[in-house]
Amino acid sequence: MDAESLHATLGGLRPTLLRIARLQLRNDAWAEDAVSEALLAALEGAAGYGGQSQVKTWVVGILKHKIIDQFRRNGREVSVEAQVEAAGVESLDELYHPDGHRYQPPTEWGDPEASLSRGQFFEVLQACVDRLPANMGRIFMMREWLEYETDQICKELAITPTNCFVMLHRARMRLRECLEMNWFATERGA
Amino acid sequence: MKRGWLLIPCRHAHELLSERMDKPLGRGDRFRLWLHLMVCDMCSRVERQMDFMRRAMRRLSD
Repeated sequence: MDAESLHATLGGLRPTLLRIARLQLRNDAWAEDAVSEALLAALEGAAGYGGQSQVKTWVVGILKHKIIDQFRRNGREVSVEAQVEAAGVESLDELYHPDGHRYQPPTEWGDPEASLSRGQFFEVLQACVDRLPANMGRIFMMREWLEYETDQICKELAITPTNCFVMLHRARMRLRECLEMNWFATERGA
Repeated sequence: MKRGWLLIPCRHAHELLSERMDKPLGRGDRFRLWLHLMVCDMCSRVERQMDFMRRAMRRLSD
């Protein structure tokens, strides 16, 4: 890819990158910084991009590192907020009988692998992640998308491991419900 | 048999399924979860769905 079309492609990706960074960092200024740094790094590293993956995949990979840098820089400010919210999240009581059995058995998802090749599925997945409470969503994204280990998350956000496991568990159960309702139970996912 | 020691309810099985994705479980929990999954189709289903969600998340915004 020549320099001019790379510029154009990167420019076109900016809104998407900004959306990803905002979701993760929940702070416009940090998100802007992370995206600017990622785009700059992409331009500087253009020679190293061998065209082996899509430009978007490559730049998002760079962005992940820049988001992590922002966490490092701003970790202290993030943590307080996370603790406040963690104290207030509701439990999963609405899903279970008092004896611990589910009200609604989980449905069979058929062949979920087929969904992975469909762009629409990822829109639904993203919408479900967006619907998680802010800090639950952030912790979940750190774990499953940025692929942090849980002890790293605890350190960056200054939360206890127990708190972290609880938040991740709740996020997964909510995401499961959301995907089931909005994808697998509809004909789109069939 | 005393409930809670060897036989766990689905809710607890789900907690262990999730925890297992973040850290290795202790021997007792590993055994209780294994036993539960042997007999509970619903939770085996949730187990597969959790695995799938992890793979899907790694491909988000690819």
